[in-house]
Amino acid sequence: MPGLLEIKNLSKSFDATKVINDFSMEVTEGTLCCLVGPNGAGKTTTMDLVTGRIKPTSGAILFAGEDITAKHEHVIARAGIGRKFQVPAVLKNLTVRQNLEVAYSRQTNPFWNLFKFHKAGLKEKLDEIATLAGLTTRLGEQAGILSHGETQWLEIGMVLMQEPRLLLMDEPIAGMTEGEIEKTARIFKDLQKTATLIVVEHDMGFVREIADVVTVMHMGSMLAQGSLQEIEANPRVRDVYLGEKEAA
Amino acid sequence: MGNLYHNKTAQWLVYTAFFLGLAVIPSFVSDDFLLNQLATYGVYGMLALSISLCWGFGGILNLGQGIAFGLGAYGMAMTMQMQSQTESNPIPPFMLNNSLDQLPWFWEPFSNTAAGLILSIAVPTLFCAIFGGVMFRARVSGPFFAIMTLAMLSAFYTIILDRQPYTGGVNGITPPSPLQLGGFEIDPYSSTAYWIVLAILVTATVVAKLITQSSFGLVTQAIRDDAERVRFLGYSVAGYETAIYTISGAIAAFAGCCLVMLVQYVSPAQLDVGFSLSMVIWAAIGGRLSLLGAMCGAFLIQGAQSYLGDAFLATWLLILGGFFIVVVRFLPNGLASLLESALGLLATKPKTPAAETNGDAKPLPAE
Amino acid sequence: MDLGSLLNALILGLSIASIWLIAALGLTIIYGAAGVINMAHGEFIMLGAYSSYMLQYYLGLPYLLCIPASFVIVGAVGLALERGLIRYLYNRPLDTLLATYGVSLVLMQGVRLIFGSDPKYLAAPEIFSSNISLGFASISSFRVVILLVTALCVLGVWLLFYKTRFGVQVRAVMQNKEMAASFGINSSRVYMMTFALGAGLAGVAGSLFGVLAIVLPTMGASYVVQAFLMVVTGGGSLAGTVVASGVTGELQSIFAFFTNDTFARFVIFVLIVVFLRFRPQGLFAQAGARR
Repeated sequence: MPGLLEIKNLSKSFDATKVINDFSMEVTEGTLCCLVGPNGAGKTTTMDLVTGRIKPTSGAILFAGEDITAKHEHVIARAGIGRKFQVPAVLKNLTVRQNLEVAYSRQTNPFWNLFKFHKAGLKEKLDEIATLAGLTTRLGEQAGILSHGETQWLEIGMVLMQEPRLLLMDEPIAGMTEGEIEKTARIFKDLQKTATLIVVEHDMGFVREIADVVTVMHMGSMLAQGSLQEIEANPRVRDVYLGEKEAA
Repeated sequence: MGNLYHNKTAQWLVYTAFFLGLAVIPSFVSDDFLLNQLATYGVYGMLALSISLCWGFGGILNLGQGIAFGLGAYGMAMTMQMQSQTESNPIPPFMLNNSLDQLPWFWEPFSNTAAGLILSIAVPTLFCAIFGGVMFRARVSGPFFAIMTLAMLSAFYTIILDRQPYTGGVNGITPPSPLQLGGFEIDPYSSTAYWIVLAILVTATVVAKLITQSSFGLVTQAIRDDAERVRFLGYSVAGYETAIYTISGAIAAFAGCCLVMLVQYVSPAQLDVGFSLSMVIWAAIGGRLSLLGAMCGAFLIQGAQSYLGDAFLATWLLILGGFFIVVVRFLPNGLASLLESALGLLATKPKTPAAETNGDAKPLPAE
Repeated sequence: MDLGSLLNALILGLSIASIWLIAALGLTIIYGAAGVINMAHGEFIMLGAYSSYMLQYYLGLPYLLCIPASFVIVGAVGLALERGLIRYLYNRPLDTLLATYGVSLVLMQGVRLIFGSDPKYLAAPEIFSSNISLGFASISSFRVVILLVTALCVLGVWLLFYKTRFGVQVRAVMQNKEMAASFGINSSRVYMMTFALGAGLAGVAGSLFGVLAIVLPTMGASYVVQAFLMVVTGGGSLAGTVVASGVTGELQSIFAFFTNDTFARFVIFVLIVVFLRFRPQGLFAQAGARR
């Protein structure tokens, strides 16, 4: 059975610099894959390519067997890929409730939405996610006044409201407390029952806790892929990444 | 929570009261000329409404609303002009003066009043859909879109001025008699004309208000905030932008039709850059985030202009410019935001616990 | 269409291009470096014309000295405007557009109150009123003066931006304000200077246009839309504006040869809209990030 997401020989150059170089990976449905690698390895660029924010120079991306290479962002999102950005991106001038409501994007057609005032199932879903994200008391607040940690949770909540099949989480625990990190790990494991996750993360402790599969990127290419034990035993990974990390 | 300003029921009540107030005006005003002038304020109200919808809620600054307005106005003028033409005299006089001996093809459909009226709305709406679609799909946004609308407006102004035999050029079109509708003549100086304008204004406002409260309205507000983010939620930003720009254009087209019905005259002045910019000024001063605020802005400024401005037009424009600068600098959401803050003060006072948590969150993240 | 009139149209096109270019030059600098959409640019041009008029009429200054003097006067007005208003709005691009429109209303009405609505005339020296013939073609010598002044201004701006320390600072601020600040560049001062420079160039344009046409409080409005289009088409860079002005000037002249001036302008506007559909970033996009 092919993976839910297949990246085939992907390359991306900005001017003369190759940022992603013949990168291939496959993510099996229902797994939680951690994408790790030193700064500048091309992790966020890969996310940008998958979600259509930038177009690849060559190569292909398949989602659930369908070619989504260079499709528009909203088309890819509708196909079932949700994304949390590295720098939390929420709609600052709207309330927390409105943020979650917009993210509940089952009907995306502008014409039909003109006549939509109540969305079926919204209330239940919103209550569920708000509780999960710990934002029930903050629903009426403007998203712009939330603390950094709360903003992270709001954006995770927004991605969950989308009910995607594949979730891309770019550094989800940055700025969170120990307790919040544990909670995030629990939620991610829980999500895995219904969705597939790719998590970009630097914190190896967190990766150890959640990852089924770890993919290591280096200089825009795949360095290694496997279970955490395999990765930690891999001498090449040790050289470029783990060694560097421990030295630092 | 609890600011009365954001309470939907309260908003609808205020809107109802406002329009009831406008509806009783004809029973107090016996001066026909004054009533006609008040009706033209309804036209300005529609324009401010359309700007508020597009710019306030959609975040699309449109400096070329005069295109839709002007095309609607020309459509109406052509319809009314053709009502005065007969079998024996099928060509409007200004065309004869420009030595045109045949009615141009695009004038033909206007011989039929119904077709003419439909075209007066359909053509500008279609233009907005096409122009908006092209621009938004290319992801032209913000100040660039504003400049492009300005350029398009200038282009239309130029072409209408230039094609004198077909458009009347700088003189415009002056239909000799009032609009005939289903056998009745609509006297522009009657309360009937006033009612028609008011009915269209009320309908447009209700539609606009419902739009802002619909899922569509929420998405457009999200796009105003951060279009990039909304794309990743699965919404076609270009589609939403085109839609709100087109709806706003359609309202402006109705305004154009109403104006010509009231004044029996159209000229390139309706597509003047300055006029389109003054629509933006009305909405900015009144409060672009509030439909009612924007309309009040239009009434306020146009009212002041006609009562103070006649004697000192130059001084008035000087004051208006200065006032506008002050509003943009210190009160970006217009006069309506003053009311919002005032009601906000009232709302938070009794609820001390809520106020406390607010205070906590602002300066530092909790802990 | 014979060769002679084609040549004539091309030379006229060059002249139109230089007029559009000098009108758009200051706007390009202000937009390119500071990201400000200056709707008052047309009124800066108008102020330039009135400054020259006053200097000539009341002080009897020779015309050629009025040009640099207008540069200084309008530059000072721009400086005052930047300090008093624009600097508070740098992170709100749409609001700078609106605020500067308010400024343009104030300037236009202010001038109208002081000087009245009747036209004023700027006189150029006798030698500029003759025609120069080049074989088939002939052109008024004042248009040659405009062409030369424009070329000088473009050269000056280019030297300033690419050959001086100030230019390096401007480009650093354009690329990344925070980064530039960490290298000790005072971005506030850079914005102030570029705004004043842009305004000054509008002043130069005004003293030229005052001779070409009559001096009126409303004269600025007719240049500003075109100037904006040159900037947007060019992508906000100096080279972009030069090329955009050159191409559209020539096209305008050639279209006008077949139809008339107003219709040609309509065609140009529509072509620009179509062009931007396919290249929304303009001819030569800025290296720096758009705000």
